[in-house]
Amino acid sequence: MMTETRRSRLRPLAAVLTAALLTTGCGGPAPSGDGDDGKVSGTVRLLTPIFEGADGKTVLEKQLADFKSKHPDVAVEVDYTTYAKLNEKLTTSIAGGRPYDVMLMGVGWIPPFAAKGALAELDENKQDLTKRYNERVVQPGIYQDKVYGLPIMLDTRFGIYRKDIFAQAGITAPPSNFTELREMARKLTVRDGSGKLTRAGVDILSNDLRQTFLPLMWANGGELFTPDGKPAFNSPQAVGALQLMTDIIRTDKSEDFGFTQPGATSLPLAQGRAAMMVGHNNHLLAIEEQAPELVKEDKIGFFMINNERPAMFQGGTLATVSAKSQHPAAAKALVRFLTDEQASLAANEQRGNVPALNGLADSDYVKSNKAAQFAMENLDAAFSEGGVPAWLEIRGDFKAAIEAALLGQKTPQQALDELAAKAQAAIAKG
Amino acid sequence: MKPRLAPRLALHLMLGGGALVMVVPFFWMILTSLKSRADIAAYPPNLLPDEWVWSNYQAALDYAPFGTYFRNSLFIAIGHTVINLMLATMAGYALARVPFRGRTVVFMAVLAMMMIPTYTKIVPQYLIAKGMPFFGGNDYLGRGGYGWLDSWWVLIVPGALTPFAIFLFRQFYLSLPRELEEAARIDGMGEFGIFARVMTPLVKPAIATVALVTFEGSWNNFLWPLLVTTRDDLRVIQVGLAAFQLAERTEWSYLMAGSTLATVPMIVLFLFAQRYFVQGFATAGIK
Repeated sequence: MMTETRRSRLRPLAAVLTAALLTTGCGGPAPSGDGDDGKVSGTVRLLTPIFEGADGKTVLEKQLADFKSKHPDVAVEVDYTTYAKLNEKLTTSIAGGRPYDVMLMGVGWIPPFAAKGALAELDENKQDLTKRYNERVVQPGIYQDKVYGLPIMLDTRFGIYRKDIFAQAGITAPPSNFTELREMARKLTVRDGSGKLTRAGVDILSNDLRQTFLPLMWANGGELFTPDGKPAFNSPQAVGALQLMTDIIRTDKSEDFGFTQPGATSLPLAQGRAAMMVGHNNHLLAIEEQAPELVKEDKIGFFMINNERPAMFQGGTLATVSAKSQHPAAAKALVRFLTDEQASLAANEQRGNVPALNGLADSDYVKSNKAAQFAMENLDAAFSEGGVPAWLEIRGDFKAAIEAALLGQKTPQQALDELAAKAQAAIAKG
Repeated sequence: MKPRLAPRLALHLMLGGGALVMVVPFFWMILTSLKSRADIAAYPPNLLPDEWVWSNYQAALDYAPFGTYFRNSLFIAIGHTVINLMLATMAGYALARVPFRGRTVVFMAVLAMMMIPTYTKIVPQYLIAKGMPFFGGNDYLGRGGYGWLDSWWVLIVPGALTPFAIFLFRQFYLSLPRELEEAARIDGMGEFGIFARVMTPLVKPAIATVALVTFEGSWNNFLWPLLVTTRDDLRVIQVGLAAFQLAERTEWSYLMAGSTLATVPMIVLFLFAQRYFVQGFATAGIK
């Protein structure tokens, strides 16, 4: 989730913070400040990377007013931040001995913080949760069979294509395997007389490279880690996925490296400069802003990345409670409130995200947002990143490894072997 | 063409080219701040907006409490600048002109401080601020409360005195002739008078340089204010600008409008101090 901006500059800070966290993060829960009469009370500090801007603040304040009416003795102090700086805020506050009571964090973040004793176990069990959520949605909040986080919203990544461009080329359905993906991409690629790329057959660069590679890897049957927590992302299936990306750029030339990048001001698919892409559900909002007629005229379609099995990348935001909260019952009440249907629907609507609760699949919002609808219909094939305590250190190295393969500096096997060795060292370091 | 005109013309062309390279991103920022979302996304990009969307500025200001952020940044930047000028001039003067045992060691320590990466100091500084005795509910041992966190103290005191400023002032004071100091002393002037009334007025380029660099560093400070504050009424302008960069998309028009507004004080300050600023860096041999 965290953008890559300033990431390299912040590595020394991350190292220091991790060390500090290791020394201070452990310890049992603090004495509760909650009443014995079943009522919860106290001042709860909430750190949120969502509900951004004035709109987001308005939405959250409205929800918190409802929370206050249900729990009049609980005051909530909100600290708004962004995903780009969430890790620094979380780790500094924990290492500094002033953790937030309720912390919203991303998929893949639970094991790193839970392993250091920074999170409190929630009073939930997996079996009950799977009645309200898809099992795949519940899993990122679990570490060592204990529930530490409940999902509020999902960020999903899958295939997005231009129906009109496909129709013009006589292609009737999106690709159902890697071979078709390459063939269609080659057919749909357009270059002008000078050889300059004017339309990429498939855009694999607008999305974060790691988050493009991972769904391809999962679709090819690969896994990030073995069940005992060792790197598995240099398996033949994973290498095959990176080989596909490399072939698209270097062999088929269906997209040129540097053609676009995540966060670019214009999305090639919206401009007709790409026929399909691996994209985020929020890209539908970008298309609506940049070329609203495409959405109105139903020219945008979605497809699961597929080869050995269908796969979709599942990120998201989970609500957690600090292990050192002075008011754990009040904090847990706030987590339950933020993850209930009303509050999470409001959060998803404000951000254009995918609700985590099964019950929201029939909501007007999901019915009106085709990307969210597609994602919810395919949650059985959703895969999440992370899974090991060292994930936040490891994930930042994926980009360089993938780029090295795309630029031909290393073979996919070499790039992923080196990455796996680095990851293994980080895991061993603990 | 006169023979001496050619080199002058070449020089001006080169400098003009350099100036253009520097100015283009600013113009691009201003033009982008006046474009609609669709216009920003246009490919190939348009230089001028199809429609001049002046309302982006109001929308950016409505997106977050920028008035508060602006005021806070200004207050902190002025506070840092004043404190740095006052203390660093004295420290630099002492290191340059006042002989005392261990002066070289102290100077080396100042230089060493310049070499410590900022990010490695953040957690220790955070802990020091949190453990400040008698503040924020803390007892005399700094326990029980949150010290300076979430207060003006934590935004102003750490980083108010910079080793770079001490170093720069020392270099300037070293370059002044000893005769001035001795003449003042013979005339009966005290040591503080010599420092304040004779020597310091002669290091105006250093004062302008330190003032500008301190103000600029403080104005652009992002991570520290973000980490040590949790309340909107203590947040600064750079933290406000970061709010436009969402996880999956960026509000470019608002970000550029906010950045344009955030740049104005720096440009105004530079216009006033540029003569001394250039002279200061040239004399100190720093770039």
